[in-house]
Order: sequence, then C-alpha cells, then structure tokens
Amino acid sequence: MSKPRVAFFDFASCEGCELQVANLEEEVLDLIEIVDVVSFREVMKEHSDDYEIAFVEGSIMRPMDEERLKKIRSNAKVLVAFGACATIGGVNKIRNQWQPDEVLKEVYGDADLEGNEFFDVFKTKAVDEVVKVDYYIYGCPPPREEIKKVITSLVMGKKPDIPNYPVCVECKKNENVCLFELGKFCLGPITRAGCNAICPSNGRACDGCRGILSEPDTRCVEDILERYGLTYDELKHRFTMFNYGREEEK
Amino acid sequence: MKKSLSKQDFLRFLDNLISDDTLDVFGVKAKGKRFVFAPLESSSELRLDYDVTILPPKKFFLPQYETLLKFDVSRNSVSHKLDGKTRVVVGVHPYDIVALQQMDKVYFNSYVDRFYKQRRENTIIIGSDILNVSDRSFAASMGTHVVSSGYDLLVTDLGDTVVVDVGSEKGRVLLEKHTSELRDVSEKEVKRVEELRAALPGKYKRSLKVEKERWREVLGNSYDHPLWKELSEKCLQCSSCTMVCPTCYCFDVKDEVSLNTVDGVRVRTWDGCLLPDFSKVASGEVFRKEKSERFRHRFYRKGLYLPERYGFVACVGCGRCAIACLPDIADPLDVINSLVERKSEAEGVLRFSIPESKAAAEETDYLPRNAVIKRMEKLTEMETLFELEMEDGEPLVYEPGQFVEVSVFGVGEAPISISSPPQKSSSFELVVRRAGNVTSRLHSMRVGDRVGIRGPFGRGFDVKALEGRNLIFVAGGIGMVPMRSLICYVLDDKKREDYGMVTVLYGSKTPQDVLFMDEIKEWEKKSDVTVKLTVDTCPEGVCWDGCVGLVTSLFPQVRWKDVENTVAVVVGPPVMYKFVIKCLHTMGVRDENIYVSLERRMKCGVGKCGHCQINGVYVCKEGPVFNYSEIKDLPEAFS
Repeated sequence: MSKPRVAFFDFASCEGCELQVANLEEEVLDLIEIVDVVSFREVMKEHSDDYEIAFVEGSIMRPMDEERLKKIRSNAKVLVAFGACATIGGVNKIRNQWQPDEVLKEVYGDADLEGNEFFDVFKTKAVDEVVKVDYYIYGCPPPREEIKKVITSLVMGKKPDIPNYPVCVECKKNENVCLFELGKFCLGPITRAGCNAICPSNGRACDGCRGILSEPDTRCVEDILERYGLTYDELKHRFTMFNYGREEEK
Repeated sequence: MKKSLSKQDFLRFLDNLISDDTLDVFGVKAKGKRFVFAPLESSSELRLDYDVTILPPKKFFLPQYETLLKFDVSRNSVSHKLDGKTRVVVGVHPYDIVALQQMDKVYFNSYVDRFYKQRRENTIIIGSDILNVSDRSFAASMGTHVVSSGYDLLVTDLGDTVVVDVGSEKGRVLLEKHTSELRDVSEKEVKRVEELRAALPGKYKRSLKVEKERWREVLGNSYDHPLWKELSEKCLQCSSCTMVCPTCYCFDVKDEVSLNTVDGVRVRTWDGCLLPDFSKVASGEVFRKEKSERFRHRFYRKGLYLPERYGFVACVGCGRCAIACLPDIADPLDVINSLVERKSEAEGVLRFSIPESKAAAEETDYLPRNAVIKRMEKLTEMETLFELEMEDGEPLVYEPGQFVEVSVFGVGEAPISISSPPQKSSSFELVVRRAGNVTSRLHSMRVGDRVGIRGPFGRGFDVKALEGRNLIFVAGGIGMVPMRSLICYVLDDKKREDYGMVTVLYGSKTPQDVLFMDEIKEWEKKSDVTVKLTVDTCPEGVCWDGCVGLVTSLFPQVRWKDVENTVAVVVGPPVMYKFVIKCLHTMGVRDENIYVSLERRMKCGVGKCGHCQINGVYVCKEGPVFNYSEIKDLPEAFS
C-alpha cells in the first residue's frame, strides 16, 4: 500500500499548529512511516503540488489567500482545517470588530498601501467560509494527540472521532475545582472538548479555542452570572478572544 | 466489632498503611477549598472533616479512562491485564458507601463485569462518619447519612480518639496487622458516636418534601410535567451532573491507535446521558432528540427506572450535581420537591415493568473471540453478507433475533444482527450495512480476514411461542436481516410443520435494495407461504413486478384468515412500527401477538453502558426482540 501524500500549508496564523507537528520529535519518524510529507514549509525545503491530504493552518484574509486556498482544495482529495484560525477564524476574527480600512489605518497609519495586494484585506474568514472542509482539527494549538489521531484515522480510512461534547466533561474527569467557583468566567461548558481541559486543569478559564458547541439560553447565562457574581463584560471578553461574531447571538 | 485508637495511634496506623509497599493508599485531601480522593503520602494530609469530594469514589472502580484490552491490528491479537495491587481508600462517607453498594448490584448483575469485580475485591474501604455536612447535600432525607454495612472499616473521628467499626474480615486483618494499639471501645465512646450520628440530620439545611419510597409514584405521574421543559431550557448539556454522580456509571468505548497504525488500546471512558450524541447510532438517528428528554431521563433513571429494576432509588443525596451544575437545575431535591409542590400541573403517566431477560449469570471481560471471514457477498450497494466462522472451533450458539458485537481492532465495535438460522453449520452470517467506521471497514475486508466477536447477546424471537400459529412477517429495509434468521428457521423442513401459514410482507426503498431476492423467490414457490414485496420508488428502466408504495399498502392485498391464531413479527426502521402496528390492529391482531425487534445505540451488549435504554428497558438485554405488549406503553419505544 502506498503511503498517502500529505502537505501542510499556512495562511494568517502564527504557524504554531504546524510547530505541534514538528514537535512530535522522535514520533516524526513514525509519522513519515505512514505518510509521505511532500510539502511543509516550516520544516523542509522540498515542495510538491501532488498530494492527497492538505492540512491548512490559518485564516483567510485576502483575495490572494482565497485564490491560493482554492488551488489547494482542487489539488487535495481531503482537506483538513488545522487549528483555531483555520477552523473558526480564532484570534484573527477579533479584527472583524472594525472595517478592514480602519484596521489598516490604525496599524499602518498613512503608509501608501494602494495597489499592494499584500494589504488588500477583507473581513477574516475561517477556511470553510471559502472552500469545503472535510475534517477539522481544533484548538490553539491543537493537541498533538489529536493531530496523531486524525492522521492515523485518515491513513486507516476511518472518520476521525472528534469530541462533540463540552470541555466540562474532561474537566470533571480531571477532578478540577470548577473555575466559576473561583470567580472566573470559563467557556468550558459550551466549548468542544478534546484538549483534555488543559487550561482549566491549570487554573486558567477556557477561552473557547476549539469552538462553541451550543448556544446557552439567555436566562441560563443570567442565572450563572448572578450565582457566581460575574458580569456580562467578562463573558463578552471571553468570547471575543476566539469566537468573535458568536457572542452577538447570545 | 468496635475498637478504638487514640487519634495519634490512628494516624500512625495510616502511616503504617502508607509505608506498606503491598498497598496503594488513597484518602480525602484538600484541593483548594474543595476535596478529592487522592494518593496519601502522609496521614497528615487526610481530611476527615471534609464535606464532600468533587468526584465520588466510583472512580476507583470504574475509572475515568481505563484500558479494556490492547490489540495488534496486524495480527488481530488482543491481550488485557486486570489490576492486581490492593488499594485502601480512606474516608468514604456513608452516602458514597451506599452508592457503591448500588453499583455492585448493577455491575455484579449478569453479566458480571470482571474489571469492576477485580477492583472491588482488591479494594479495602475505610469509611468515615460525616463530620461536616455539605451545603447542598440532603443525605439525611435519603437515609444515607449513616451506614451499617458496605465497608471494611468505618472510622468515627471524635477528636481525641477514633472509633473503628470492623465491617469485614479483610478490615480486621488490615487493622490488626498495621496497629498494635487497639483498645476495646468504651461505653462512653460508643455513646459519643451515637450522639454524633443522631445530631447529623439536624445539620442538613435541605430536606425532601416526600420520602424516597415515593419518588416512583411522583415521577410515574409526571412524565409530561411542564417542569422538564422549563428547567431543561437552561441546561448547558455539559453532563457535569452525571460525571460527578456516584450512581451514574454509563460509559463509552473507543479504540485508540498509535501513530504506527498497528498497536492500540480499547478504552472505556465515562459517558453522560445529557450529551446530545449519547443515543446517536451510526446512521445518524438520535433516539433521545430533545434536550428536555435527555434532562428528564436522568431523573427517571434515578427515581423510577433503577428502582424498578433493582429496588433502590439511585440517588444518595450527596449534592454533587447541585454544586457542579452552573445554572443550578440539576438538584434532584429541588426537582422532586417542585414536582410535589406543582402536583396539579402533573401530566403523563409512565408505568412499566421490566421484561424478562435471558442473560446468563456469567462474567464478561469484554474480550472478543476471533472469527474468520469465510465468504463475502455483496447484496446491495450498501449491504454485504459475511459468513463467519469462530477461529477457536467452538461454533456460535444463538437464537434467531440475537445480535453480536463485531470488533475491527483499531476502529471499534458495532452491534450487528445475526442473519442466518441457528441450525446452520459451524458458521454464521451477518449482513452489514455500511454506515459508520466499523461497518465501512468491514466492507473493505476480504475473505480470510479476521474480526472479533462478542456475544451472542440479547433476547431473540421466542420460537416456542410461535409454534402452532400462523405467522405474518413484516420487514422494512434491513429489518429483513434478523427476520431472515427466523423465517429460515420456520421454513426449515424439520420445523415447518410446527408452524401454520406464513405471510411475508417486505418493503424496500428501491428494487436494488431488496435483500435475499433469490431466497425470497424460493419462499414464494411454497404453497403455504405468501410473499408480497413493495418498494418506495422504482427508478425508470428498472424491472420490478412487485408493488410500489409503503409496506402498509400490502396489507389489503392479503386475505387474512384465522387472525385470532396469528402472530405478527415486525422489524424495520423506527418510523415504520407505528404504521404497521396500526394495520395489524385493524386486522384484529392483539398486542400480545405482535413481536418487534428494535435498534438502539449499544456499546457493551451486557446491560451496563446505558446507551440502549428505552426509558428503563435495556434493548441489549431485554431486547432487541420484544413482545409489543411489553413495551407499547414506553414513550421512548416508538416515538
């Protein structure tokens, strides 16, 4: 059986998701036993457009990104959105609070950007707002275990089993003191699990980097804010980090 | 037998336990402002003054994650190891001891879970009387604030001295081996223990408005109470309430594979019935769709279903769910009290009894036996028949209507109906529809490949009860798979005279989806068999001489005789049942003369994992075949 050919690509992102793959360390040897990595700018010079599985990191910000992404989509049999920026837009969507020209003005002041395609930006999009996505690897960054799980699943021809339940499930199994009891607004109850509740287990409230699963009822949110002495601003702040555009629905 | 130790000697006793290399010692320790059961490194860490731990001690017996078996995909070989070392758990409160006794009833019920049993046998429970009551606990209302059995030792910390009640031989040996300072308990000490216990109920801030014996009655009359919808609207569906519950023990099972795609583990992990996917099967069907249904199910399981099955209310009043639930809607005390207060709004009666199951009193270790694929036959685009033979030479003994759990190591396990009649040779046949990961993988296998088999499980068709009767078989889609096992059994020359007239009504989506067409043609040739086929649609250009329409449209085409003596067997997609049963009623077939076989999500096959429940009935044990009269009043059966 020939090994599937795999390529990694990045758009607007910190490339930390790809770094998670590089950080598999000696397990990289196992990885290249089961797949042929034909393109991976962060770790190798070689590049090929002949691949079956594309891992796409990052958000889509510009017409030129869209064009490049569509080409990747047409080359790949399977496209995997890789990490928070790709799957949900993530931190890049914070910028969607303002119009693109306002953002350019704020950052670059009076610099002449006219006609420069690198600065021709629209509102941030997740990968599936541009092309069809077959599978999602969530998180900022995605857990290495999950990356391995998705790759082995694809190699074995099965659908990756990504949790469809909230972080609370994992957090409870880890027997953490609930962060609400410590006065923190945590998105664990509505955020997709799969991270083994790494933030709450280390005393940090969940920011929702793996995406929101369900919209809580407004009265429920009010009850929770009141019970734990929290404010709506704290909630909004949590949502803006990775899920800007979602909290308006609340 | 009661003994006492000075506080210092008690702590020394604990330190002796901790320094004993043959023991792993766990006890209640502080975690921030809360408490947890965790490994004890010194007696000074033990906090017998705790109110309640975040997780109950169930984690010692049904761990959050546990390896059921290790496998090697390339060789289809499995192995597993049970825990060996003796553990001591110190400080278990009475309500948690009661919860463990309840869990014993479930996990020691047939089939006995060998992992649980091993852990239970290897674990010494040192209980502790409650010194501080948790704000949200209502244990006194449940009678679980004190306990008189279920522990190896029970300690009461009186400050200066600790009274130890020896509850078992194991406890006595442990005690005598690790301390030589035991004193006979004084009358005064006994009295102090009694006073401490007697004062406890007064410390509970909260109490039930109705005794726990009446939960069944309250819930039995409130199935459609508006409370379920009102409360569940605020539910986050996080299942925190079930995770922290000492009497919730549903689990999921998953295969995890290493990056080499060869070796891996089958892991059992906690699951929760509040989660939307809890009842979801591979085809995408969700059997408890509404949030309010899932929310309600948890209370009914605790207050009606398990009481009906085992005789106890599966809530011990620990209050953990009330603490864990952010919108504070999970507290059974609040819910039961609200139902009592709002009795006038009660609606929806739920009465049921648990059908008999034939599950043998045997142990299970969830280890599959290997079977070899002898033959594969593609029946339709989606369905393939597999003829399998057990590799150990011991043929599968089964009844028509039973199912097996098929393992593809590295992918998982799926419940599949047996399609061959039982008298067939050493092999057996399964028909597998490609739906999820396991079934898709099965389709890509070849003759000679191996799969794992557990079972057969469940209650099949009662072939004795069908004797002497005219039989109507109504099948829809892959409902023909288990049905074929029974039809072939009945039509077998050796058995045929035991049964009356046979009518087969079979509906498929299109002519290409009809299963076992060649066999059906053989059945048609027999003078004492009537066969009517129909399809939902017939694409242009496809040859079809049967009917077009739903399976119910076949009923008027048959001239029914001797309906009184007729038994109907119905197997098909969930949506089919109520329409077919209506037709049968119109004909005059009585409820007791109707048998159905139902599909649900199943992980364990042995009545433990909780996924297949129809209200309080386990499809894997009491089903999949039911007499219609047994389950017709269950709202979740044919919704």
